[in-house]
Amino acid sequence: MNDPPRRTRGALNHLWFWSFWHWSVESFRGGSLLHDPVHGLASHWDEWFRHEASADERRSIARAGATERSQRAFVVWLARCWCREVELGGAPVPPAFALGQLADVPPFRDWPAFARYRSTYGAEGVSAIVLAEGSDGEPTDVRAVEAIMLPPDAEGTASAFIAEGFHASEVDLEVSRQAAMSVLAGPGLASLLARWLASGRRPYPRTLAVALALGWLAVAGMIVWLLIGPDPGVRLVPLGATLTALWCTLSLVALTTATVVVVRGWREGHRWRARLETSQVRLRVNGGLTLRGGSAGLPFCLDTLLATYRAESRARTPTWLWSQAIGGLQAHAGGWAATGVVTASGQIKPVMLEAKIRAVRQTAGVRAMLVPRQRHAQGLASPISIEVQAAHGVAGRATPARSPRGPLGFAAELRPLRITRCRSIAQAVHAASGMRNVAQLCTNLLALAVSAVMVAALPDIRDVLAPPVAPMVVAPSSASPYELWVSLDTQRPEAFVVTLESEFWTNRRAAVAPALGPDIPPRAELSLRRLHRQTFSTEEEGTVWVARRHRFLGRELIPGERVGRYFLSYLFRLPHG
Amino acid sequence: MSSEYDVERLLRWRSARAEADAPPAPSARQLIALARPWWERLPEQFAAYVERLRGQQLVYAHAATTPTQGQGPYPVPALLVRVAQEVESSARVLYLSVRDGRLRMRFRLDADSAVAEPRLEVTFVSDDQSRPLLEAVASQSTGHEYHLEVELPEWLESIWSELRVSDRMPFRFIMHAPSTAG
Repeated sequence: MNDPPRRTRGALNHLWFWSFWHWSVESFRGGSLLHDPVHGLASHWDEWFRHEASADERRSIARAGATERSQRAFVVWLARCWCREVELGGAPVPPAFALGQLADVPPFRDWPAFARYRSTYGAEGVSAIVLAEGSDGEPTDVRAVEAIMLPPDAEGTASAFIAEGFHASEVDLEVSRQAAMSVLAGPGLASLLARWLASGRRPYPRTLAVALALGWLAVAGMIVWLLIGPDPGVRLVPLGATLTALWCTLSLVALTTATVVVVRGWREGHRWRARLETSQVRLRVNGGLTLRGGSAGLPFCLDTLLATYRAESRARTPTWLWSQAIGGLQAHAGGWAATGVVTASGQIKPVMLEAKIRAVRQTAGVRAMLVPRQRHAQGLASPISIEVQAAHGVAGRATPARSPRGPLGFAAELRPLRITRCRSIAQAVHAASGMRNVAQLCTNLLALAVSAVMVAALPDIRDVLAPPVAPMVVAPSSASPYELWVSLDTQRPEAFVVTLESEFWTNRRAAVAPALGPDIPPRAELSLRRLHRQTFSTEEEGTVWVARRHRFLGRELIPGERVGRYFLSYLFRLPHG
Repeated sequence: MSSEYDVERLLRWRSARAEADAPPAPSARQLIALARPWWERLPEQFAAYVERLRGQQLVYAHAATTPTQGQGPYPVPALLVRVAQEVESSARVLYLSVRDGRLRMRFRLDADSAVAEPRLEVTFVSDDQSRPLLEAVASQSTGHEYHLEVELPEWLESIWSELRVSDRMPFRFIMHAPSTAG
């Protein structure tokens, strides 16, 4: 007879846990248990194990806990099999939560295999700086914060925020949650998107990003050529076409990318916000602190965002924007500490900083710090080694280390601490996630400048690439013998230039001015001056050419194709105005 | 004089002294009185406790600024009698089961007034008539959660077997730490 597969064997070895689970599910369904089986896991287990389990089940549990190996087997089975099979709000149960809950109740609290789950969810987050009473800033004041998000319980009886290992005002925690929600959908999201648009990395491969940057440089180069370079002459049309095509392509790529990223991020942000609104966030700060003041609001808010990201990314791959923003924050979260009071709209308010910065500077592993934008925040991060600060006393604090021969001198290497001042949560996320890209910022500035120039030059480019139909010369002509009016039947007079070539009159060129009234056609006015040495004696000698006018942002280029030829004799005989 | 004789006399003398100093054994009436529940022995105190319990109004007042997920569990008013003080508190019933004539209950004391007492003597007081219903000993489980199991009178069994844990409970608690009980 074949042995049952490993997975089935694991389930058979832990049937007692399924017995408990079904008791819990049925009791909840029958109205005997307040919380649903997942949210009340620890409490339900405790009740079942102490008062409901049969003698056989107790013996099985004792066997499972007999050796550390069998305990680990249960832990592995619970995390890999049970948590995947049991659903909560359509999502699998987070293994860290299940193990963390059971780790504190008998008999698991005596099992060494559960030891690592008693004080951590394994979800590294942005640390909070909470000063102990009377502390001037010690490394122990930098507290690790962990957060996980659970779907709402079936009856809606669970709290929205659970503080584990510490006590805090529910109002402060709720404000942090509101601030996190504003980043997912609200003013915070708008701010985050604006920051990303301005300086955020784009979802291109590096080679494409370089190619696009070179493209913008090429457009800028062509614009400079047209503005101050040699006249392109007959190459103007291909040059204009290339310039326009390249600019349009680059703009299209940029706009399409931005639109896709923004729309997807916007939709997902709203979905995440809805989930966060109905879910339970469990924040863990070990140490049994009772928090006074709201300066831990910023790390709590960031860790709530991290918990949302982790919970949602388990179910489906997040969109690029959130992968970069909160995924990037998660990648670097262990190296960040934060302090700041947050408002529900996602603003960060000033807090006391000196002792907190001192605490962070002494903490190994924390390399960067998010603080509110307030006076003196930057100056406190001066690159003075903390040992030297201690040797000379910091901010009036007594020097702790002294030798009988006098104060000690230290020559330790500097430990750089990057301090980022933020006005809003969106700014904090943008900074801590590493989304900001200087090269992209430069490219964006170049693209913006180039596009502004292109928009201003569009009428000129249109005259080159899509010229209007050739116009006819119409009445009126000038009544003055010293002035020639060339009135044209056209809607785009700025696209034409008129040239007089004569051996009796001085050669002239004039742009066609716009119409002066509803019944007056646009015209070019040329003043007539006789040549000193005339080849012909008749004043009607001469030809007027109508040509296409070429210019670029005020620079007059050599006129293009000639589209009309009229003799002076004809023009002089047109009816006068 | 033999030493054995002296020791025996000494022991008798000591025993006689101890008997003379010992308090008198309780009488049958006193034993019956001790067996009675505390609210019968101390009716004034019970009445005072009930009066304080009646003053507690732990019902939901809907003053929320945002829509809530659900009404949630009803807290049970509780009066926690300690040596030095009486604390008005509340408890949330987490598990309630009436089976085979016995009540199994798990409740969580409000964290602000939580005590580290491993055992509490819990008196169930009728919510509407303010009369004592039964008494049970609750033992601490995890955190602020306590478990109790007690036999129910038949008339209560028929009523409470219909109760769901999310219903409003028809009782209030008077809780004594063991040092203050009786």
